[in-house]
Amino acid sequence: MTASTAGDDLLVLHALRCAGFTDLARVAAVTGLGESDVESELIDLATAGHVTYTAGFFGGWGLTEAGRAADARWITEELEAAGARTAVAGAYDRFLVLNPELLDICGAWQLRPVGGTTTMNDHTDPAYDARVLGRLTDLDRRAQAVCADLSAALPRFGRYRVRLADALARATAGALDYVTDDMASYHTVWFQLHEDLLATLGIPR
Amino acid sequence: MRWIHPLSPDTGETAGAIGGKAYGLVLLRRLGLPVPPGFVIGTDACRAFLRDGRLPDGLDGELAVAVAALEDTTRRRLGGSGRPLAVSVRSGGRESMPGMMTTVLNLGLTAAATAALAAETGDTRFALDARLRFLYGFATATTDLTAETLDAVVSEATGRGPDATAVDEATGHGPGGAAAGEAARHGSGDAGRLSRAIHEVEAVIGRRAGRPVPDDAAEQLRLAVAAVFSSWDTPRATTYRELHAIPHDLGTAVIVQAMVFGNRDDRSGTGVAFSRDPNTGERVPFGEVLFGRQGEDVVSGRSSTLPLRDLADREPGVWAALLDALDRVEAHHRDTCYLEFTFEAGELWLLQARPGRFTGAAAVRLATDLADEGVIGRHEALLRVSPHDLRHARARRLAVAGGAGVLARGLGACPGVVAGRVATTADGAVRMAAEGPVILVRPETSPLDMRGIAVAAGIVTARGGPASHAAIVARTMGKPAVVGVPDLTVTGASVRAGGQVLPEGTLISIDGTGGEVVLGSPSVTTAATGPHLLRLLEWADEVSGDASGRPADQRLHAAHAALRRRP
Repeated sequence: MTASTAGDDLLVLHALRCAGFTDLARVAAVTGLGESDVESELIDLATAGHVTYTAGFFGGWGLTEAGRAADARWITEELEAAGARTAVAGAYDRFLVLNPELLDICGAWQLRPVGGTTTMNDHTDPAYDARVLGRLTDLDRRAQAVCADLSAALPRFGRYRVRLADALARATAGALDYVTDDMASYHTVWFQLHEDLLATLGIPR
Repeated sequence: MRWIHPLSPDTGETAGAIGGKAYGLVLLRRLGLPVPPGFVIGTDACRAFLRDGRLPDGLDGELAVAVAALEDTTRRRLGGSGRPLAVSVRSGGRESMPGMMTTVLNLGLTAAATAALAAETGDTRFALDARLRFLYGFATATTDLTAETLDAVVSEATGRGPDATAVDEATGHGPGGAAAGEAARHGSGDAGRLSRAIHEVEAVIGRRAGRPVPDDAAEQLRLAVAAVFSSWDTPRATTYRELHAIPHDLGTAVIVQAMVFGNRDDRSGTGVAFSRDPNTGERVPFGEVLFGRQGEDVVSGRSSTLPLRDLADREPGVWAALLDALDRVEAHHRDTCYLEFTFEAGELWLLQARPGRFTGAAAVRLATDLADEGVIGRHEALLRVSPHDLRHARARRLAVAGGAGVLARGLGACPGVVAGRVATTADGAVRMAAEGPVILVRPETSPLDMRGIAVAAGIVTARGGPASHAAIVARTMGKPAVVGVPDLTVTGASVRAGGQVLPEGTLISIDGTGGEVVLGSPSVTTAATGPHLLRLLEWADEVSGDASGRPADQRLHAAHAALRRRP
């Protein structure tokens, strides 16, 4: 197994590291690989003791302790081999400037001030929702630049731009779940990007 | 002067001209309450700055005059090597925009002034701590460096892990908390570590800004004022205004005041106080205090605070002065009030004042109590409660009389009351959820916790605010959640909160509205049947002349309509 370029095995392992315990379809969506490819990688990773499958209602794939350690080792090697630490760290700084604003926007999507009190946004005021989506679209424009820097440093970060753009497109087309609620929502993908940056740079939460 | 106004009792400017914060400080001065001396640069200077891209003509000269006057008042010299003056530089527009704009504290602590402050106080560690805080504020105000990045730089330079960096002790950033800070304050070798931290932070600012941190206090002040003005137009502030329907052309004022050092010694500190309990409306002072720290440490929610009441035992003089201030400000507003304060060497100073803005059940109780106390009439009491408040008052709440039995308190992030057994990991939550409800308790959440959140009945996190990943995810899943409980630590399979250690499996209850965490099963209440609401609705029926049994919000609405028809 080589570490200098991100092989499918690393992509699958790292998807579980950043997205958490999840199912086959979601790993495929995170990595951009086909489900059958993901499945065969997962089986190999399970044989190596890096991932494990849990059956049942909340069933799915998750990392083992050994898998988490292997992921940390591989992504550090990948980062150093690509000489990308400075570029990723710089992009992380710019991400941190955007992060509070994204959280403000998601908070405003869920809760809105009405007459001095904060109430759940019941999405019955299209003008308000449009205002929030307008700010999300504006932030996304600035986030694109950060994503581009990240992809240039490490190509595997390219998936985030695709997934964020997809979530925003769906949300602005009226699929309201794609701001915060869906497992492929803008906030969910952003949250995973945040986790990925911390993991890649070895910064503890 | 055209641009600058003194923070004095006879300043007659409007909140639009000098911002809400400065307006509140002028009011405090009129009430004869202690406010650090200073001045305010009006919002018109900000508008000129944003229009022309530079500080307006004449402001430099006015700044020099205002600083000289402040030096005379305090008998100190800004950046001086004798008795140095340090100032706070804070934003404050007409509408409150909490956390959106820039603040620089401890400005004027040049290298020479820091040495002078150390000599004056005989406390090198304190002086270096203040200098490092200045550098953090200056860096985040004038470059794109974040506190997180600076934390990492400092922990690398001082060879300390992320749980106990020098800067954590010095600035309250990071997860360490007040105990670590206080221990460090009295430990040895701290000054050396702080000096190294200062050196590294200066270097990183120099590299990022392309020029060294100015060692001229007047230049520091000009840059900080421009940075505060610029911060009006950051994308995040613009988004905030857009979402809260605040006009974009108001601009912010800049308040410059002599620093009060809450980090000065054991008899110093900082806090926030309400004249009544904002959770219940009960007439009892409520808030938090943090000894040996500066104001941003409380507001950031990143340090372990103590209940306000602890001030009574440790600093009875400060406590008495604070109670007096709460009474006087409340009497002025004829409404509950909120104060931010700092005390230095046992002396109280007020940094901000505004009405309390209670909502829900607390608003109902406040209005009826004020009417019963004769402060306002019953009609005004009715008008002060909105139908939204009644809707919120129906929320199920933990019954905690006067805060008794509360293990810890954070911010309610998603409403609801639930009980469950403590799980400290997502895996533990999944395992335990098969046997009954679980409360997932985490330092903060990551995507790896999603599965644990999905199976949990409720969520508690030590860090984070109402707009944190944890809060967003909790609301997404409709799980009652309490976030930002600074007085809570998770170690392995146990949780420490309120001085107790709770092993995994301990039964706790949480209130996602008030933010309380208590031991055992919940005793639940709703204000919808409480005595205060019943009284208020009786008054409503008297006004509307309709005592037929209708829902509470209709009764209130009828009373509002009847009152508005009256001349």
